[in-house]
Amino acid sequence: MRLFNWALVALTSLASADSNLTHESRNILPSTFKPAQHFRNVNLVRNINLEKSFPRETINVVIENIDNAPQQEYFLPFEQGSIGRVGGLEVKDKKEPERTGFVVDVVEVDPYSTTEYYKITLPTPLPSKQQLTLSITYYALSALTPLPAQIGQTDKQYVLHTFSAYAPSAYTTSKQKTKLKLPTVDVPDATTLPPELNAEGKEDPQKQGTSFTYGPYNELPAGAVQEVSVRYDFTKPLVHGKLLERDVEVSHWGNNVAFEERHWLTNRAATLKNHFSRVTYAQSAYYNPPSSALKELRFPLAVGSADPYFVDDIGNVSTSRFRSNMREANLELKPRYPIFGGWNYSFKVGWNSDLKEFLRRVKGASNTYVLKVPFFEGPKQAEGVEYERVVTRIILPEGAKNIKFSTTITLTSNTTSLHRTFMDTMGRTSLELTALNVVDEFRERDLVVTYEYPFSARFRKPLVIFGGLMAVFAVSWVLGNLDVSIGRKQKSV
Amino acid sequence: MKVLQALTALLPLGVFGAKKAATGDRFQTYHSKQLSAGGPVKIDDKIYAELTKGPRDYSITVLLTALEARFGCNLCNEFQPEWEMLGKQWAKGDRNAEGRLLFTTLDFLDGKNTFQSLQMQTAPVLLLFPPTTGPNAKPDGAPVRFDFSSGTNKAEPIHSWLSRQLPSIPHPQFVRPINFLKIGVAITAVLGFITFATVAAPYILPVIQNRNLWAAVSLIAVLLFTSGHMFNHIRKVPYVSGDGKGGVSYFAGGFQNQFGLETQIVAAMYGVLSFATISLALKVPRMADARTQQIAVFVWGGVILGMYSFLLSVFRIKNGGYPFWLPPF
Amino acid sequence: MAVTATNSDSPTSIFFKGETGRNTRGLLRLIILCTIAAAAVASRLFSVIRFESIIHEFDPWFNFRATKYLIQHGFYNFWDWFDDRTWHPLGRVTGGTLYPGLMVTSGAIYHFLRFLTLPVDIRNICVLLAPAFSGLTAFATYLLTSEMSDSPSAGLLAACFMGITPGYISRSVAGSYDNEAIAIFLLVFTFYLWIKAVKVGSVMWGGLTALFYGYMVSAWGGYVFITNLIPLHAFVLICMGRFSPRLYVSYTTWYALGTLASMQIPFVGFLPIRSSDHMSALGIFGLIQLVGFTEYIRAQLPSKQFQTLLRAMVLIVFGVAFGGLVLLTVSGTIAPWSGRFYSLWDTGYAKIHIPIIASVSEHQPTAWPAFFFDLNMLIWLFPAGVYMCFRNLRDEQVFVVIYAVLSSYFAGVMVRLMLTLTPIVCVAAAMALSQILDTFLVAEAPAEPSGDATKANGSASSNGSANIKDKLNSAIPESLRSTKAPLVGIYSYLSKSLTAGAVTAYLLLFVLHCTWVTSNAYSSPSVVLASRLPDGSQHIIDDYREAYYWLRQNTKQDAKVMSWWDYGYQIGGMADRPTLVDNNTWNNTHIATVGKAMSSREEVSYPIMRQHEVDYVLVVFGGLLGYSGDDINKFLWMVRIAEGIWPDEVKERDFFTARGEYRVDDEATPTMKNSLMYKMSYYNYNSLFPAGQAQDRVRGSKLPATGPELSTLEEAFTSENWIIRIYKVKDLDNLGRTHQEAGAFGKGNKRKKGGKRRGARVLRVD
Repeated sequence: MRLFNWALVALTSLASADSNLTHESRNILPSTFKPAQHFRNVNLVRNINLEKSFPRETINVVIENIDNAPQQEYFLPFEQGSIGRVGGLEVKDKKEPERTGFVVDVVEVDPYSTTEYYKITLPTPLPSKQQLTLSITYYALSALTPLPAQIGQTDKQYVLHTFSAYAPSAYTTSKQKTKLKLPTVDVPDATTLPPELNAEGKEDPQKQGTSFTYGPYNELPAGAVQEVSVRYDFTKPLVHGKLLERDVEVSHWGNNVAFEERHWLTNRAATLKNHFSRVTYAQSAYYNPPSSALKELRFPLAVGSADPYFVDDIGNVSTSRFRSNMREANLELKPRYPIFGGWNYSFKVGWNSDLKEFLRRVKGASNTYVLKVPFFEGPKQAEGVEYERVVTRIILPEGAKNIKFSTTITLTSNTTSLHRTFMDTMGRTSLELTALNVVDEFRERDLVVTYEYPFSARFRKPLVIFGGLMAVFAVSWVLGNLDVSIGRKQKSV
Repeated sequence: MKVLQALTALLPLGVFGAKKAATGDRFQTYHSKQLSAGGPVKIDDKIYAELTKGPRDYSITVLLTALEARFGCNLCNEFQPEWEMLGKQWAKGDRNAEGRLLFTTLDFLDGKNTFQSLQMQTAPVLLLFPPTTGPNAKPDGAPVRFDFSSGTNKAEPIHSWLSRQLPSIPHPQFVRPINFLKIGVAITAVLGFITFATVAAPYILPVIQNRNLWAAVSLIAVLLFTSGHMFNHIRKVPYVSGDGKGGVSYFAGGFQNQFGLETQIVAAMYGVLSFATISLALKVPRMADARTQQIAVFVWGGVILGMYSFLLSVFRIKNGGYPFWLPPF
Repeated sequence: MAVTATNSDSPTSIFFKGETGRNTRGLLRLIILCTIAAAAVASRLFSVIRFESIIHEFDPWFNFRATKYLIQHGFYNFWDWFDDRTWHPLGRVTGGTLYPGLMVTSGAIYHFLRFLTLPVDIRNICVLLAPAFSGLTAFATYLLTSEMSDSPSAGLLAACFMGITPGYISRSVAGSYDNEAIAIFLLVFTFYLWIKAVKVGSVMWGGLTALFYGYMVSAWGGYVFITNLIPLHAFVLICMGRFSPRLYVSYTTWYALGTLASMQIPFVGFLPIRSSDHMSALGIFGLIQLVGFTEYIRAQLPSKQFQTLLRAMVLIVFGVAFGGLVLLTVSGTIAPWSGRFYSLWDTGYAKIHIPIIASVSEHQPTAWPAFFFDLNMLIWLFPAGVYMCFRNLRDEQVFVVIYAVLSSYFAGVMVRLMLTLTPIVCVAAAMALSQILDTFLVAEAPAEPSGDATKANGSASSNGSANIKDKLNSAIPESLRSTKAPLVGIYSYLSKSLTAGAVTAYLLLFVLHCTWVTSNAYSSPSVVLASRLPDGSQHIIDDYREAYYWLRQNTKQDAKVMSWWDYGYQIGGMADRPTLVDNNTWNNTHIATVGKAMSSREEVSYPIMRQHEVDYVLVVFGGLLGYSGDDINKFLWMVRIAEGIWPDEVKERDFFTARGEYRVDDEATPTMKNSLMYKMSYYNYNSLFPAGQAQDRVRGSKLPATGPELSTLEEAFTSENWIIRIYKVKDLDNLGRTHQEAGAFGKGNKRKKGGKRRGARVLRVD
């Protein structure tokens, strides 16, 4: 049964593969581009979740087609600077979440215009005068800025989040409000808007516990902006991955998958006012208070992962623990030094797993395989980790053919190349996928790769090595029998 | 004996000069004295006090030393001739005293009070009093002190030190007089050796070419070196030292030090061991009689075993954590 | 190539000529040698298994860095590599001032593996290079010994001695990626080739000798040992009246080609003809020409007087030439002995003139326990072996004797030269032991002496060049006294079995000893320290890398780090930051500058640091952990070296109390307490303890109640166990005050500074 599903995935993956390709081609629009007012936001509720180190925004909007022709393209505007920091934008139908086919891509507007747009293509055109409830979620990376920017080693950290009280919209919005979910009640300052803006004329925002509410607001024109900002206590590290490179190497002979991840982390938290003091650190280590320093990284790995390693540019880091049993396999790393605000740490972790956990042979096709691995793993932190750029490379065995892949993470590029290692003659097929602005909530997202691995390809290497050794023996025999002495006969050693 | 001359020459002058200096220019008198004496002036407490009291328009160096044999100050006696030489040459160097620098020697016998007032524990000590008035005067008339602790007993470092301390005055060259006697001796010795060699060649040659001799020599050399003789030579370790309770401790504790006797014992052990090995390897198989050979094997084997185990036990003394041993010891 | 010839010879003959006794023995020998090599490699892997595959200690880090540079930028860029990240601001002409052999070797291996598309990390190649070469060394020792002795077992014994003796392991464990790693193999192999050349007298062997000599020159400064030993050997042979065409051919070939080869190394350049270290080789070259000439003449006209005339002429010319050399040296045309080399002869020299050399621990003289520790029972088999060389004194055995005496002298003077002693000890000991074994392991009763025994006896006149032998025999007693009687053999099986048993026991003990020493003494990569927790589990103290990695990650790429020169290479290698001084101590003044900065008061050292654009200062402090190799213990050397240049500003005596003690507690002298090093080591240390309880666990002394104040530096990072402390040099005060004033102002009491001054002036009067 399960196998059958796999097969299905394999077959569908073909379509998705070239759908990836079509995403590459982007349509450039003039700076004067304004999306035609086909839609109207009847009602909009926007939730901003600030519990992690990256805000997560969910826009639930009821859209109505006010045009008299059916329309399919809904536009979502962003400030020019901010769109580069928006990641993981996904659209669902609120009513029936399992409905698929919402295609999201960035509309390339030439750099002079201040706003850029996400174009959301609905699976089916929305007939005139019809309504549809979209739920749009996305993350804004490096959106929180610590204020003050320099704190003492044991001080609390406050971060500032600036956003618009009005949800970004390219269409007229009749009714909307913005809800904030804060991690704490300790909120020194939050912009208060004059009550007259508010629909009910109440004071704005309204606080209850850790949640703030801006609005509701009456009808607003397209692109209306009302900048507000909240500053709240967030004494946790703002872990920011500049780059994550991930290698997944499949070996049929060794019946093994080797994972390796290379991280370049930095901590965006407030920098230290005075320099690092070991005394204070040692003293605070006893009762360990919340701190903006990153002290430990925890990698929950797939069950059955074995022999992990944790190294950096100058060798093995001895302060790591690996707990593995039937139910879980946890890799707990401690960096060489606590990573305070503004400090960097780059390292490399790797582990092996049994191949049969990740690979299936497709029913019917004798030598077609389906590989299903997480797109990336990385640490799983309470405060969350954000990645500017994730590059995953799947290294398939030598001689693997027509590769197809599919993943639910939006990719920016994918290339297939050859990778020569371990006495390869022609090199292994390797597939390199790049994604931007990813957060660690996507850890579980899978990457499914199907490929053909002909039976003959397995025996290439043994034969080559055998031949090589034979050659060496032959040469050494010839050399051994050579007589290089000049003139009179001379006994060699 | 140069010192003696200086003494005899100086003793009357000293008193006399002291009187005169009180009236006239201190520096001139003592400088002339220095010239006549051909070396540092020998002074005593009185003159010291007089010479060093400010204001001075000249600089003066005082060597506080203890030449008497009973003080057992080797450095003093080694350094004295050098000091004389330096003073002499310097004085010669600027006859008409542009430098205005005096060289004086204060022996402990003549300068007990000075020594006490300066709280000297050690000798020799070299003090330089820079001028307090005049062109190259130092603000505080405090004396500068040369540090003998580096163990120097030569004149050159002193010369360079003085030159550094008093940069603005002329520094007469210091040249070590060539010791013709030594050279002569050397040459004659070499010639004598050559003639002797040529004459005695026929008798010596066989000896020199004797293998046993060379074998012995090289073995002794090897044993010496491998038993840490060079360490003794360089670190000047004591030959042997007593343990706390009157006895003699033959082996120095610790891995990094040793006694002279200790190394000799070790060398002897190595020697015995290798000799036993040699006889076991070469002598024994050449014994015609089975019985004696049997005994010899036992004897030499026993010697090796015993010695080696003793060696190991000694090594365990040096290196506490050493776990290995052999039966007897 | 000699190597491949041998071990490809035996198997092929096995495979193709069928099973014969010789071949089986050859095959066995080959197998045994491979096993020995394996054992040699295995016994050096302790540190890799215990810790990880990591580069050890200090110098290896530079070699490692250089190797990485080589494989990144290619050979020619490496050859003229100017490194501006060391010796700031001077920089170092690294390509011209190193021995490239090591890096080039591992670079070649790296590229070969790349060619096989084996992705082996260059670090692992560097870490495992020394063990791999030690295997080769064992093989070379086998070859050398087989040349020396007729006994078949001697070579194998020597090989396994060489494989596991600590004297060699000490410098060749996995991770000690230093020149010695390959140099010892080259040393032994060059000697083997030399002996072979002298025996065969062929140009080929001479050329090979020169080739490997050149390789040796490119690999290690110790090549001077070969440069002087081979001429000495030739000289002694001539003096013994053993001049022969073979000697002439091999020596001239070696000298001509070898000198040319050695001059290809930029670092050596024209030294072979300009420095005294190499003059002996040149002189002997001249002498051997003379002797050859006279021999030729003598062969032509055999008149007695004429020959004496000739001999006289030879002597005179030689004397004149020698005098000329001496004159040239005195006049300075020929560079005098290099400091390190000179300090071997005049043992007191270094201590006075070159404190830097004296300060290095491996340049200290060797106490006898060190010998026993490194060589165990070989040390007493050694003289026996040397003695046996006198039995039938052939050319190669003369070589053994010379080598033995000379190198045991050197090893006595400098600990590190134990390395050159070890091979000959192994050879000689193996000769002695194999003699015993051959004698006592003969099954037959001595009715008819067995083949081995007769071979072992080897009557003197059988081999060696005959005509000279006759001349000698006239003069000297036939042979050694101990070998006059005819050889009989061993009668009783009892004695045979006893001796055999005893020897086996000793050999086993030797193996135990070697393993113990290796695992306890020579297998810790001083970068990572290991300690045992109460429950016996191993706890790793990784402060060095913690701090270095912090520097690497969180400081500017070109932030200058000032530290004592011991850590220069490590900072360059691990932290990848420019340093002021490092372990290649080519510029005494620069080192003294750092020493002065460390040992002076802040007011003095701050300008120095500003002038040298120092951003960070790194000190090593063991007080918390009881780690004795820290900077306070090395401090006196800094003071001495600085005093060598500024005798009036830095005085060693000021760091000792009136009673001549070196203290860090309340008794410490003001100079000590005001010195930058002291302040940096103990800054903030008090606050780790309850008031007045601060304790230095290395010096075992209680510290002053109030810790030192720092005004021109601020603590930037301190590693977990305080072993490494990094300080940032403050910028100039933006109000133009001195930092003292600023600090005092910050504290609100302006007295402090005055107090300090006064303290300082008092000190100057003292």
